[in-house]
Amino acid sequence: MRRAEQGPVLLYHRLVVWLLFLILLLPLAGTLLYSLATSWSATVLPSGLTLKWYLALWSDARFLSAFGHSLLVCFGALLLSVLLILPLLFVVHYHFPRLDGLMNVLILLPFAIPPVVSSVGLLQVYGSGPLPLIGTPWILIGCYFTVALPFMYRAISNNLLALNLRDLMDAARVHGASTWQAAFWVVLPNLRKGVMVALFLSFSFLLGEFVFANLLVGTRYETLQVYLNNMRNSSGHFNSALVISYFFFVLLFTWAANRLNKDLP
Amino acid sequence: MSFLVIQGLHKRYGATPVFSDIDCTLEQGEFVTLLGPSGCGKSTLLRCVAGLTEVDGGTIRLDGQDLLPLPPQKRGIGMVFQSYALFPNMTVAQNVAFGLRMQRVPRAESARRVAEVLALVELEALADRYPQQLSGGQSQRVALARSLVTRPRLLLLDEPLSALDARIRKHLREEIRRIQRELGLTTLFVTHDQEEALTLSDRILLMDAGRIVQSGSAEALYTEPASAFAAGFIGHYNLLDAEAAGRLLGRSMSRRVAIRPEAIRLGSGDLSGLIRSHSLLGNVIRYHVESRGVELYVDVLNRSAGDLLPSGRSVALEIAPEAVRELEG
Repeated sequence: MRRAEQGPVLLYHRLVVWLLFLILLLPLAGTLLYSLATSWSATVLPSGLTLKWYLALWSDARFLSAFGHSLLVCFGALLLSVLLILPLLFVVHYHFPRLDGLMNVLILLPFAIPPVVSSVGLLQVYGSGPLPLIGTPWILIGCYFTVALPFMYRAISNNLLALNLRDLMDAARVHGASTWQAAFWVVLPNLRKGVMVALFLSFSFLLGEFVFANLLVGTRYETLQVYLNNMRNSSGHFNSALVISYFFFVLLFTWAANRLNKDLP
Repeated sequence: MSFLVIQGLHKRYGATPVFSDIDCTLEQGEFVTLLGPSGCGKSTLLRCVAGLTEVDGGTIRLDGQDLLPLPPQKRGIGMVFQSYALFPNMTVAQNVAFGLRMQRVPRAESARRVAEVLALVELEALADRYPQQLSGGQSQRVALARSLVTRPRLLLLDEPLSALDARIRKHLREEIRRIQRELGLTTLFVTHDQEEALTLSDRILLMDAGRIVQSGSAEALYTEPASAFAAGFIGHYNLLDAEAAGRLLGRSMSRRVAIRPEAIRLGSGDLSGLIRSHSLLGNVIRYHVESRGVELYVDVLNRSAGDLLPSGRSVALEIAPEAVRELEG
């Protein structure tokens, strides 16, 4: 009975998934084609294919430096968040489980306050005074840290909850490990999956961040998205190549992360 | 002097006492069970011995050494948890070797000792598996091996069998006892299962509401319960108040009385009763009998189906005087 039903039901499920996939893929495919086209204006299909836009893009010093800036800011923010959030989570879950409720409210703040609003606040505070950070990459690293916080906290927190932290810590301590050793040898390796997921999620998100980058730093430390915005009046083919390059990079990153996760036990 | 001496131990969470005035001793090589209903404080007591929970007062001495100032990793104690608590990122062999790695035991010696204990728990073949590839019984044997490899002075078992199914539980129970005897390990075992306690232990400490209410061998605890709680928790005693017991036995009683259901004989004797119902427990049939207005449970060995007494049948019954146990309090 169930088997008889499965055929058509399965087909329906597949159809829905593929349809969704197609809809999501369509603009991307269009952009890809446009980035490869010599020219494409009044015809259904482009008149010819070429790689010259990509060559132009990847030999543009301004693009390369924007790309470097983006990577640097993202990695800086993620490093900072790992260094701060891992110990924080451990302390919250192991010593003060009641703080988890408070943390869950706190980590929503970056979502609750729109970037435009918080940028204005940040401009006020860091524009002058003791810490004039506006226009430097440091303000972006700090700001991106708060943006990554919810992703990092939730993903690692879920990982910790699934881990039976208390018993593992107890077992490690009874069998000769100090709290530090137990955290390092037993808890940390088991959080790898959560940390990886959190890192790649945040990375993809931060690499595409525009509002903070544009308002707080702008052209003084041009990131990828700001560069894209500044180039909006140049050739559409060129911009398409930029978007596809960006997408491809994120895709590669995500794929690598997936592989890494699967290969590890 | 005993090997493990616990004196006047107490512990509270906020204003609620978990246990108080715990006094007990363990001899070297002894297998002692802390038996009690859930929430009676037995697991907390075990965690206090391990050093995982702070105590509020009292002393714990192991082999003459005061344990309380020591952190858990310095106490030389092995512990097995109900949830196994195996490290998911390590193989079976790495899990077992963990304690040795923390003690910085050289690699070659560590490998030899790991192989030794894995052989002891009959898991040599699974050394390279990860915990998530093991069954519950296998996991618990790995946990046991992990706690044995450091040659602890004292082994603590916190309901190690409670998460396993019945058949594996019985098998592992015997295995734990065999290994404990082989190594002469002083063992403190926590359980809420009376059958486990009775079959495994040299001695049982019965706990109720944060106190040790009775201590003794399995036989003593089973045949001579000191209180209504002990009689109610171990076996399936008939608990009668003084008035009902007096009516049944034909003499005046001043205390509550416990009568073991298997100590009552059906078919002969000068009491008459009426079979109300019965339930089949496998090798034993438990009759629900009424005599002189008192309801009793009577256990009879299930010899053959023809012997079964139907409900409503009148029956003679006899209560051996030595089976009648007057309870304190």
